[in-house]
Amino acid sequence: MQLEENVQAAFNGLKEHKFRSFLTMLGIIFGVASVIAMLSIGEGAKREAIKKYQQLGVNNIIIRDMDLSDKELENMRAKFSPGLSLKDAQAIRDIVPHVVDVAPQAEKKADIKYQDKSVKATLIGVTPSYSEILNYSADKGNFITQDHQNRQLKVCVIGIDIASKFFSIENPIGKSIKVDDQWLEVVGVLASKSLFTETVGELASRDLNSDIYIPLSTFHKRFEKEKLFSSELKQITIKLEGSQNITQIAEIVENLVDRHHFSNKDFSIVIPVELLKQEEKERRIYNILLGSIAAISLLVGGIGIMNIMLATVMERTREIGVRRAIGAKKHDILSQFITESLVLSIIGGIIGVIIGLSFSISISFFTEITTSVTLYSVLVAFLFSVIVGVTFGYLPARKAAQLSPIESIRHE
Amino acid sequence: MLIEIKDLRKKYIMGEMEVEALSGVNLSIAANEFVSIMGPSGSGKSTLMNILGCLDTPTGGQYLFDSIDISSRTDDELSEIRNKKIGFIFQTFNLLPKLDALQNVELPLMYSGVDKKERRELAKKALKRLGLESRMNHKPNELSGGQRQRVAIARALVTNPEIILADEPTGNLDTKTGREIMEIFRELHQEGNTIILITHEHEIAQQANRGIIIRDGLITKDELNDQKNTLLSEEVDELK
Ligand SMILES: Nc1ncnc2c1ncn2[C@@H]1O[C@H](COP(=O)(O)OP(=O)(O)O)[C@@H](O)[C@H]1O
Ligand SMILES: [Mg+2]
Repeated sequence: MQLEENVQAAFNGLKEHKFRSFLTMLGIIFGVASVIAMLSIGEGAKREAIKKYQQLGVNNIIIRDMDLSDKELENMRAKFSPGLSLKDAQAIRDIVPHVVDVAPQAEKKADIKYQDKSVKATLIGVTPSYSEILNYSADKGNFITQDHQNRQLKVCVIGIDIASKFFSIENPIGKSIKVDDQWLEVVGVLASKSLFTETVGELASRDLNSDIYIPLSTFHKRFEKEKLFSSELKQITIKLEGSQNITQIAEIVENLVDRHHFSNKDFSIVIPVELLKQEEKERRIYNILLGSIAAISLLVGGIGIMNIMLATVMERTREIGVRRAIGAKKHDILSQFITESLVLSIIGGIIGVIIGLSFSISISFFTEITTSVTLYSVLVAFLFSVIVGVTFGYLPARKAAQLSPIESIRHE
Repeated sequence: MLIEIKDLRKKYIMGEMEVEALSGVNLSIAANEFVSIMGPSGSGKSTLMNILGCLDTPTGGQYLFDSIDISSRTDDELSEIRNKKIGFIFQTFNLLPKLDALQNVELPLMYSGVDKKERRELAKKALKRLGLESRMNHKPNELSGGQRQRVAIARALVTNPEIILADEPTGNLDTKTGREIMEIFRELHQEGNTIILITHEHEIAQQANRGIIIRDGLITKDELNDQKNTLLSEEVDELK
């Protein structure tokens, strides 16, 4: 019943002491703004990471042939390891449980020419399963088909950057380009893929939009190996039914390949979903740190409120006495002053939310950092400011309520 | 009896010094009495009044208000008694400066939980009763001393209390305004209110039905005023 009056009185007080109230709220404003900004940076990093690992496939296990020198490769072959091979891929598909499909791929650096233009690119030999397992699709034309693979056709699918470099306005489909010493017909252009900016395991960071894909059979038949002892495959991507038991399945895969390679450690296994989890764990620590800094500024804001409320109570001792004399109970006085600090902290909270939002938007606009504001983070920050208001308003309010009626009414 | 006091004592301890503001006061006041309390400054009048108004607690003796033993009441119960049964009027008015006259008068009703609409009605009525209908939305600093005291009286009356306690209500007012305020008290008494009023002006004390004099924390005189006496002093006033 008094809530309306209390809120009204709090607003009147605020209007009367605009500057003082603003200074009081400053701590809360910065606290809330930094909570929102920091949570948005954390959330942005999380989304980036998820996107990155989704690109690698959350249900996938990736085996990479290790990058070795000629000397090391020779050594491996001497110790009977054939390197990563189609036999490995076949065995994984046939033996390992929960495997949906495997995508073997071979790679090499190649020179690509069209008319007078030339670029260096990664030539990748793939089977049709590649597009489904790694979520690759052609933007124009088709991806590598079973027919291309079976007939070892001299066709290729090019990344969007190569397409735009070679064929600015022309339609690339049906054109022939020269890869090393082979002429290949362009049958498709890939949809744009985001840059792979970090090295993950043996997966080097690179611009996926400059790759060129050909049938694996064509790769083996038409192109020379990069090195004399290069393995048959550079990578096998294994798609599982789900991400449960992924580490156990990866272990089975590892044992299997290890046996084929006579225990020569010339390959590595990357589990994107595991890396994602690990990164999340690291980020959590970082987030806690950021959160604590924000929490401290909220705390300082709360102390600011407490300080000003204590001064207010002193200033208004007489008023408290009058209210008590005409019948206000202790809890009436208590709720009056708590409402006042709550109004301060809520207004501070609202201003803080607005500043925090604009801050996160500016961060992602002016820097490379991705930010993402969630409703949850806004609610958390706001809730915190309310809690701070109640907690730090309580002590001064209690002090006001405990004043003796007669002494406060005599107070000058 | 509305008020019964036995051997009431109040001691103030200030460091080494002890001041006995009340040293054994006995007093009974019935409903519809109009009592004046006089006495030199520092004799304990305000101390007694604050205890009667449940604002302060005695250090000895007994105080029965409406047959309730005040010393055994909780803080909340005392607040409720102050709110519903007592109307306090101060020398310095003690209005809240940020609220207008109407809001000031509404305040006791707010604390007794009367809903907003009814509260407003009752407050308006009380202000009208005191001739302030045109000043309802003025803040205290926009009102004259007499008007402020009227607002304070309206605030004391609005809850329809059992007793009105006034501690030197004319002390801050000029003689003419003081007289107007006294006229209001007399009317209130005629309407059936019980009033206790502190003053140090003989002329004002004469208007009550019963006069009490306090010296050094003790009642030294407590007698009914002669009606003729009262009339006489009025005539004297008029002659002036
Ligand atoms: N809060 C207090 N602390 C100490 N002494 C007080 C206090 N209030 C009143 N007194 C003392 O008690 C005596 C009576 O005061 P008071 O009741 O205010 O007198 P009056 O109203 O008759 O002028 C005075 O001597 C005064 O100094
Ligand atoms: Mg006094």
